[in-house]
Amino acid sequence: MDHETQQPTPPLDAEAMARRKFLGRVVTVLNIAVVGVLAVPAVQFAAAPLKHRLKEEWLDVLGDDELAEGETREVAYTVAVQDGYQKVDRKYVVYLSRQDGEVKCFDPACTHLGCRVKYQSDQHRYFCPCHGGVFDESGKVVSGPPPKGLIQHPVKVEGGRIYVSRMV
Amino acid sequence: MIQEPPESRSPETRERPIITMVPDVESADQLARERPALRDWMELRLGWWGFVRKNLDEPMPPGVGWWQTLGNLLLTMLVFQFTTGVLMAMYYSPSPQSAYPSVKHITDTVTAGSLIRGLHVWGSTCIVVAMTLHTLRVFFWGSYKKPRELTWVVGVLIFQVMLAFSFTGYLLPWDQKAFWATVVGTRIAATIPFVGQDLLVLIRGGDEVGALTLTRFYAIHVMILPAALMALIGIHLYLVRRHHIAGPVIPQKGAPQPFFPNQLFRDVIVVIIGIGAMFALALLFPPGLEAPADPAGTDFTPRPEWYFLGLYELLKIMPAGWELVATTIVPGIVTIGMLFLPWLDRSRSRHPAKRGWTILLGTFVILMIGLMTLKGILETPPHSAHSAPAEQHARH
Repeated sequence: MDHETQQPTPPLDAEAMARRKFLGRVVTVLNIAVVGVLAVPAVQFAAAPLKHRLKEEWLDVLGDDELAEGETREVAYTVAVQDGYQKVDRKYVVYLSRQDGEVKCFDPACTHLGCRVKYQSDQHRYFCPCHGGVFDESGKVVSGPPPKGLIQHPVKVEGGRIYVSRMV
Repeated sequence: MIQEPPESRSPETRERPIITMVPDVESADQLARERPALRDWMELRLGWWGFVRKNLDEPMPPGVGWWQTLGNLLLTMLVFQFTTGVLMAMYYSPSPQSAYPSVKHITDTVTAGSLIRGLHVWGSTCIVVAMTLHTLRVFFWGSYKKPRELTWVVGVLIFQVMLAFSFTGYLLPWDQKAFWATVVGTRIAATIPFVGQDLLVLIRGGDEVGALTLTRFYAIHVMILPAALMALIGIHLYLVRRHHIAGPVIPQKGAPQPFFPNQLFRDVIVVIIGIGAMFALALLFPPGLEAPADPAGTDFTPRPEWYFLGLYELLKIMPAGWELVATTIVPGIVTIGMLFLPWLDRSRSRHPAKRGWTILLGTFVILMIGLMTLKGILETPPHSAHSAPAEQHARH
């Protein structure tokens, strides 16, 4: 009973060794099965957000007459989105800009790492506060680390209203 | 166990016990026969005092001193992080609606809440400082060399886990700083070619930082990382005990000294100073909260925790299209370099002067990280410093 008095196990004969080897393999396979039976649904569960597919929505964001030629303005709008377990009104901000009669919609997320760019109307430039990216009125990179111009969202003007498309 | 002849147990021939309070339980048979005292009865079953004595007698090579106290300090600080973290979990609620008010409640209303959260917030800073010093000591002493390679590797993994702790914990207050640092920080994953976008969705739990990002980060911060950390620390300590502490690079004369009392006393002094500093920081600079997270805001400049500022500055100086270099390649090379350091450094000697390029390159990397971090700290506008006074948000 005491650990001092415990006898060592006697040496195994060939048959016992073979049996041990075989059952060792069976145990390994069964253990892998036990891990797998949990791991497969676990990975599926944790990776569930990958299955979500975005769909396009058109949103009325501004009156056509509220945006003058050559003007760029920040416009906020809300979209009802499913945020995990809850439905929320998610607020988005975009820059609407009318250049040569055409309305463009720029996403404020810097194409570098997603900081919010700020439009300076006196300089007609977008500035990123994080790593110093600068974009011009047409969204093109002027200087700094951003790899490409500001992302544009599709825009349409209908019935005196400006609509912006968004994947939600 | 073989019964020793009685003469061998005379005081002259026996090794003198280091501490007298430890019961003498060398002969288990003897205990079994008599009616042992409760202490001895327990000892026979648990072997606890034997374990304690073994650790107190742990041999310290001559020359081991103050630099070898940092591991114990780190362990103590981690116990503080666990304690304050569990305490805050009693009041914290991880949803976009409740995270901010619950952290505000902890900070402003709950008794000692500002201190508990302050210790947790400043604890992360103190741990990063102590961990860096600990790593530098091991690096310059060349203590990662045979047979301690795996102790070093596990240490590097612990370093990574600590950074993950910091990144996930940063989001939990759900204020502007937390939200935007996470928007930008997670975007780094998206710069990885091919899998970047999927990786981003996996990390965020969706396309945007939202309710599922918060629950995900919470689960990682309070369950996955603590479990990983405990396992890694267990292995690290086991290996430290198995291979013992590496002495100075030039072996010094004299016999090894037991851990108790001299080294343990040094450890306690350093722990008192370190924990004292944590308390002082938590009380003098109580943890702040900025405005609640506003996903639509455009006027907030995200800044990461100060020890990520080096990477942040590196991103600034990278030309267009090179961000992958700053986000993945440079940190990846540094991490892999650290992991494989014991095999990259082929020199036989542990002496820094005899390790040529390892010391040169290591010092260069350390200086660069230090300089970039310093540059980032100096360029941080004072109002966004991570210890904004609590009064700022305490107004009703």
